[in-house]
Amino acid sequence: MKKTFVKFAAVAALGTALGTAVFAQDYPGKEIQGIIQWGAGGSTDTVMRTVTPHAEEVLGGKVVMKNMTGGVGAIATKFVYAQNPDGYTLLMGAENPLLYKVMGLGDIDYSEFTPINILARGVPILVANNDAPFDTFDEMVEYIQAHPNEVKFGSTGPGGLPSVVTSMIASKTELPVTQVPYDGDGPALTALQGGAVDVMPAVLGAAIEAIRGGRIKAITLIDNKPTEVLPDLPALGETHPEYADYFPWGPFFGVFVKNGTPDDVVAKLTEAYAEGAKSEDFVKLMADRGYIVESLSGQEAQDFLTKWQSLTTWLLHDAGETKASPEEFGIPKP
Amino acid sequence: MQALEYFLIPWLDLKLLFLVAAGTFAGVYVGAIPGLSVTMAVSILIGFTFTWDVYPALCLMVGIFMGGVYGGSRTAILLNIPGAPSAIATAMDGYPLAQKGLAGEAIGLSTVMSFVGGLIGIVVLAIAAPTVSEFALVFQPRDYMLLAVLGILLVGSLSGESLVKGIFAGSVGLLIGTVGLDPLTAEERFTFGFTGLWGGISFIAVMIGMFGVSEALMQLHHVDKAAVKQKISRIVPNWSSIRRYLPLSLQTSSIGVLIGALPGTGGDIAALMAYDHAKRVTRDPEVPFGQGAKEGLVAPETANNAAVGGAFIPMLTLGIPGDAVTAIMIGALYIHGLNPGPMLMIEQPQMFWFITGALVLANIFMLIFGLTGIRIFTKIVEMPRAVLIPLILLLSIVGAYAVNNSISDVYWMLGFGVLGYFMKSYGYQLGPVILGVILSRLLDENWRRAIISEQDSIAGLFKGMLTSPLSLVLLAAVVLIFVSQTPLWRGVRGKLGLESKP
Repeated sequence: MKKTFVKFAAVAALGTALGTAVFAQDYPGKEIQGIIQWGAGGSTDTVMRTVTPHAEEVLGGKVVMKNMTGGVGAIATKFVYAQNPDGYTLLMGAENPLLYKVMGLGDIDYSEFTPINILARGVPILVANNDAPFDTFDEMVEYIQAHPNEVKFGSTGPGGLPSVVTSMIASKTELPVTQVPYDGDGPALTALQGGAVDVMPAVLGAAIEAIRGGRIKAITLIDNKPTEVLPDLPALGETHPEYADYFPWGPFFGVFVKNGTPDDVVAKLTEAYAEGAKSEDFVKLMADRGYIVESLSGQEAQDFLTKWQSLTTWLLHDAGETKASPEEFGIPKP
Repeated sequence: MQALEYFLIPWLDLKLLFLVAAGTFAGVYVGAIPGLSVTMAVSILIGFTFTWDVYPALCLMVGIFMGGVYGGSRTAILLNIPGAPSAIATAMDGYPLAQKGLAGEAIGLSTVMSFVGGLIGIVVLAIAAPTVSEFALVFQPRDYMLLAVLGILLVGSLSGESLVKGIFAGSVGLLIGTVGLDPLTAEERFTFGFTGLWGGISFIAVMIGMFGVSEALMQLHHVDKAAVKQKISRIVPNWSSIRRYLPLSLQTSSIGVLIGALPGTGGDIAALMAYDHAKRVTRDPEVPFGQGAKEGLVAPETANNAAVGGAFIPMLTLGIPGDAVTAIMIGALYIHGLNPGPMLMIEQPQMFWFITGALVLANIFMLIFGLTGIRIFTKIVEMPRAVLIPLILLLSIVGAYAVNNSISDVYWMLGFGVLGYFMKSYGYQLGPVILGVILSRLLDENWRRAIISEQDSIAGLFKGMLTSPLSLVLLAAVVLIFVSQTPLWRGVRGKLGLESKP
């Protein structure tokens, strides 16, 4: 019995090895599936659909993209996790999975995946309704402290960008605000224009057109240096150095494969997406929307993810927004 | 005039003209097949038209949108399976008409009325877009909540013989709508630990099961009865009947444009509200509502197509999507290097007029494609039941699967089909269930947002409602409609000597 098993295992191992060898050589031998965590037309979707056609050229194969929404991206993440690690299913996602563990949304996050490319990073910005009685960060904080809980901050639920930025600010000063949750930054920014919320921490790319059109006003950039898109807007890290250590921080977009994917397949995909990130279309789209192209892969990408997760989870934990301590999952303190 | 020049771009370029026509044609059939939605078609097109120029891509999308919203009425009338959520209200009186042998006339009327509604929507878009979008922004969470309550009160007109059963059915719908991760806090609700339930129960699966499968099961009772012979003498409604429904269609189209322009509500809610409005204002319909009243067909069909123009209003003026389809189109504009937002109309005025032009064109093609081929379609209803019932089941299964390519959606659909069959057998109407599912999220989210905004103070919420003119009007409408459905109202009416509605 035991012997048979060993024999069987040996044959199976050989088969797998052979299979992998053959397979990596002519990868991609069939259509690759790209699973996008967020809906069609959203920022993750736009980024992936812009960069992928250029990556396809290098890859010499077809990547069929599909939106699989729900559970703040957890459904797509679980789906890709359940597939074979053969490089034929890519996970195209944003930053959210790094928070799943502490938010109680399951125990699968990007540590189960190998980053192919961290394409770009968004810069958060604090925007306010035009009628809000403050124009600068200091005026805002002063007003909020004078009127506790009266100022409404738009949010996208626990763990979303607005809640992280709000926690960052609140970690260094008193910030008694009421957070009103919306389905996403789009609806929340709409509510901001209509006055249903007063202030919104949003990603620059989502707010930029409304700022240019004079529909909402920018308070401060949540970064260490001003952006080219809004050169006159002060950066919080410059005006208030106590925050500088947090930055640069922001949402990001990345392409991943499940751990265990053959190294040469990972290498091929990495090369393809690195080329794609250099394409004119992608660079222009990112510049227009105020995103910063990162194009990180390998160890660099891994370090980026580790740092991001450690900073953000602990920040949220200290603000009392998490369900479980990052410590339980061995996430080091920043 | 510059605007006219831009408006005519899709009319004068043969390729663009063809693409609008092709899009509309495809839309009519995508819309007619339950489970294939316009949202899905447009998201597929984003990938497909990636390398195209922006004009041809938009032509195709606009065509699909217009055609698809209309197409949903086809299967609603013929088979009682709404092809799209915006055709749910259409099924309520459209299907009874088909059962009377008037399918051809019903489709003809719905086509012409969709055209009228679509046109009104576009006219409002063209002349009053900035005003309407400013108005749409005034809606606060409490106003959306009141709007949802107003919608829930529709249960009164959808429950058939028993209001209590209607309220029960509506509550079941609301409950179904709450399953999944809480949209505000990502907390699990009624998921019983299954990850598969995180995304909630597919509303389309519920709809197809409740309408399609339960109808097929009902029909099994009289499988030996001969099918209804369809009269196909008159398809295009004559001018006098169009004129008769014109005042009503103006009102319902206005409802459609406004609901369509509100971010967060779309054609489905617009059509249901219009149906309710028609029922309220029609003094003496030739046939009672629910048994094939033409007003019950005119109202939702004008409203859902008017909502198309409405949805473009906030999109083109502010870069805010009016519904799911325009949300995807905004993404498409980004991919094509345009920046949809408040500056779009100033920096790229041609986009506004180009889309308006393409919409008018799509509306015309919708009329043409809608009025041709009706004879062949009505033959579907004449098929023997032994063929028709399996066909309905097949269509339901394919449709439910197509929504998310998920087999569990098919199981849900079948389960709700059986539930719907028993509910029908015991005199429960299914309309309120669907209504509950549609409105569940709108009500849930906005009630909580409203109360969070007032720092959990009920008094503060009421103060807000009473001091804002818009909330006050909505609150008054809620109270009025609620009271008008109680015996108290009938008593008062009787005392005043007012004629009461049948």
